[in-house]
Amino acid sequence: MLKYTIRRIIGMIPMLLLISLVVFLLAKAMPGDSLSGEIDPNNTDPQYIEEMRERLGYNDPIPVQYFRWVSGFLQGDFGTSTRYKVPVADLVLERLPNTIFLGVTSLVITYILAFAMGIYAGRKPYTVGDNLIGGLNYLGLAIPSFIAAVFAIYFFSFNLGWIPYSGSVDPTLQPGTFDYWLSRIHHVLMPAIVLGALATASYTQFLRNDIIENSRKDFVRTARAKGTPTSKIYNVHIMRNSIIPLVTFLGFDIATLISGAIITETIFTYPGIGQLFLDSVTNRDYPTLMVITMMLSALTLVGNLIADILYGVVDPRIRLD
Amino acid sequence: MKKKSLLLMLTLLLVLSAFLAACSSGDSADEPADTDTEPTEENTGDEGGDAEGDTGEAQTGGTLTYGIDAPPEGLFNWAFYGIQTDAYILELMDEGLIQYDENLEPQPNLASWETEDNKTYTFTFEQGVMWHDGVELTVHDWVFALETIADPDYDGPRYANVQTIEGAPAYNAGEADSISGLNVIDDYTIEVTFDEARINNLVNVWSYPMSRAQFEGIPVAEMSASEQVRTKPVGLGPFKVDSITPGEAVIMTKFEDYWKGEPNLDGINVQVIDNTTTVGALGNGDIDMIALQPVNGPEVEELENVEIVTYPGLSYYYVGFKLGTFNAETNEIVEDKEKYADVNLRKAMAHAIDRQSWIDAFFFGYGSPVNGPVPSNHWIAADPEELPTYEYDPEKAKELLAEAGYEDVNGDGFVEDPNGEEFVAKFSHYATGNPTFETRAQAIVQFWQEVGINAELEMAEVNLYYDMIEKDDPSIETFFGGWGTGADPDPTALWGSDQLWNYPRYKNEESDQLLADALDLEVVGDDRDARKDIYVEWQKMIAEDVPMIFIAELEEIMALNERVQNVEYDVSGSNSPHEWSIAQ
Repeated sequence: MLKYTIRRIIGMIPMLLLISLVVFLLAKAMPGDSLSGEIDPNNTDPQYIEEMRERLGYNDPIPVQYFRWVSGFLQGDFGTSTRYKVPVADLVLERLPNTIFLGVTSLVITYILAFAMGIYAGRKPYTVGDNLIGGLNYLGLAIPSFIAAVFAIYFFSFNLGWIPYSGSVDPTLQPGTFDYWLSRIHHVLMPAIVLGALATASYTQFLRNDIIENSRKDFVRTARAKGTPTSKIYNVHIMRNSIIPLVTFLGFDIATLISGAIITETIFTYPGIGQLFLDSVTNRDYPTLMVITMMLSALTLVGNLIADILYGVVDPRIRLD
Repeated sequence: MKKKSLLLMLTLLLVLSAFLAACSSGDSADEPADTDTEPTEENTGDEGGDAEGDTGEAQTGGTLTYGIDAPPEGLFNWAFYGIQTDAYILELMDEGLIQYDENLEPQPNLASWETEDNKTYTFTFEQGVMWHDGVELTVHDWVFALETIADPDYDGPRYANVQTIEGAPAYNAGEADSISGLNVIDDYTIEVTFDEARINNLVNVWSYPMSRAQFEGIPVAEMSASEQVRTKPVGLGPFKVDSITPGEAVIMTKFEDYWKGEPNLDGINVQVIDNTTTVGALGNGDIDMIALQPVNGPEVEELENVEIVTYPGLSYYYVGFKLGTFNAETNEIVEDKEKYADVNLRKAMAHAIDRQSWIDAFFFGYGSPVNGPVPSNHWIAADPEELPTYEYDPEKAKELLAEAGYEDVNGDGFVEDPNGEEFVAKFSHYATGNPTFETRAQAIVQFWQEVGINAELEMAEVNLYYDMIEKDDPSIETFFGGWGTGADPDPTALWGSDQLWNYPRYKNEESDQLLADALDLEVVGDDRDARKDIYVEWQKMIAEDVPMIFIAELEEIMALNERVQNVEYDVSGSNSPHEWSIAQ
């Protein structure tokens, strides 16, 4: 397994290089740069714009710019955000805790809901309860998250006043206190639910279908025949087999955890990586944009690796060599 | 395993599509080129306004929640800031030597000035003005700001406001240790010499001091990333920054030693909220004050606890005609495009547009038609009666077209050009995530079609769009745009025939001469009226030549909760925030 892991990690290097090339070229292919777009004639002048382009190296040939970026990247210099004028690393680190907090909360919500609903629906398929859950899930899949977010804000924040609709914390509280953490949880709840709704739906349906399928397999019939209690059949025999497809999702969840939800974060003005990413695209903040994209790509690859390794753990029949 | 690689591909695809999707969003491009004037937005502090009609004395205490609809960049220093959102916060915590009154005339604030010849100015600072850290303001803080901006390592856009000081270019080139035009007489008096006598030296010069004590030991190149700019800014204004939650909120408390007197409010919480939640947040009373987008106006007007205050903006929208090209090597404009060279054609296209109903439909009435290149509230603006106006008049438009030789020869319902060729007017508009842009552009195209001009719309992504306009891309024929004016009325940067930002590529020597005369001390001297007369003359000429169809000037819209008092706005911005108060 160790050999396999190392081989996979080495295999990632050319992949990442290729991704970096694509990311860079795509970023450069976007029209304009951080200094173009709508101009406020009172706040800038053409000489300054020209000077800054020169200073930022936008006038150099593309290969020169690429190698400058990659070599900086390899040496741990992720560049300076053209918009915020601070090192991108600082910017990302500042947002990362918020996003991870949101991602983890949403994952926890997803898992709890998905397992509860999936197992129930799988054990009692084609009943009213199952159909109800199925209906709910398809509704969740069908409603885009930005619609769900706006409606959630409208009902739960404005009409009922239960939850805050913006920010990650009440800014007047002292960081580190109990109230502070309570406020953070309070703030993260709604975006996490909205974010988790979509994932919950697909998790539940996968789990339900797998349980139904597995419950018709021969080994289940054998287990029933020899008198194994139903709960044990479901919780041990079927469960273990049904989790395998979910492990695939887990790999992607790791990237999702960081990428957060671009739209959800923006609507809830939750300052995380997703919001930063969107912001960097609209403002042509190349250094930030490229770092985040690279980070997400790397995490997707790592997530896959973890998923592959977990296959082996969950299902001993799968050999990794 | 197959399923997994498929999912991997899907994920990569999603990342890619996120790129594409994100390219098209960003409503910030909605605003015409920014409506701000010079950063100074304070009104005269001692005006003692009670416009809200409350009973005498302002109540003290209370915390006001101020909404902003985009996260700040976090550059909380006048010398480094770049966007309006940061300016909103800066206005609460810092101020400059000069402020502008309701006619956009400079007035003394932290300093007063005297000049004999418009070349050498003597500034006298107020004594006893304190920075938030308790250090007293002296002229050295201003010298420090000017030297920072003139420093070769400075990475902000303000050098244009310093380079007119004698010796600043030498300092910028690294040839001098100090700026020779700055002569410190004592801690409160300084003599500033400019490189030549100009009528607008004062309004152009950088007028914000920077705390020398705070920035001590920080190299200029690292200032914009320093905590003195980003997280612990120190200013001279009525409120000091207490804590900053990046991207979310700025908590401010009153600065008790504020030089104009202790602020009425205990503090201001600046909170970032998304546009989609503005109306609800106002209705709930969660935010007390916010600048509104026109689209939210009608909904907010219906709220009982919120009052809408509008004040004139300094920006305008236009439809430009590409008349020529700009040569970047020689900085010259050649009017070499023939298609719209006929002034009658341009006038006909202007008469075809019903501006009022366009504004009502797309800006919900928060604006009015504008007839010249100067927003009507600027002191140099010509009286509308003096200007040739192009009212909505389809019949007149058709007549003008016929006069210019544009007639429908082949009977397809659209005119052909004087040579009998098909005439198609191409209209370009920028595209962002805002869905109203395409409809409002389509509306203009339809106005033209109604008078028989075959028009076509092309939407271009906003960054690409301005790039194409700047480079005179052949596909740009008529285009939509917006400009803002500052306190300094000089429009040379947008209209001079050697200027990159003269987007229509309009070249007229008379116009250049008038713009130069208006700045020439020998022609206008100190006489404001003489200067205005020249600008009026110039506006008449531009309106007569129609290098662009002037469409609309917008109003700035502020929503105020009914408990907020003593807040007033005029064209220069709000009154000093230390007068603001909240009814308990």
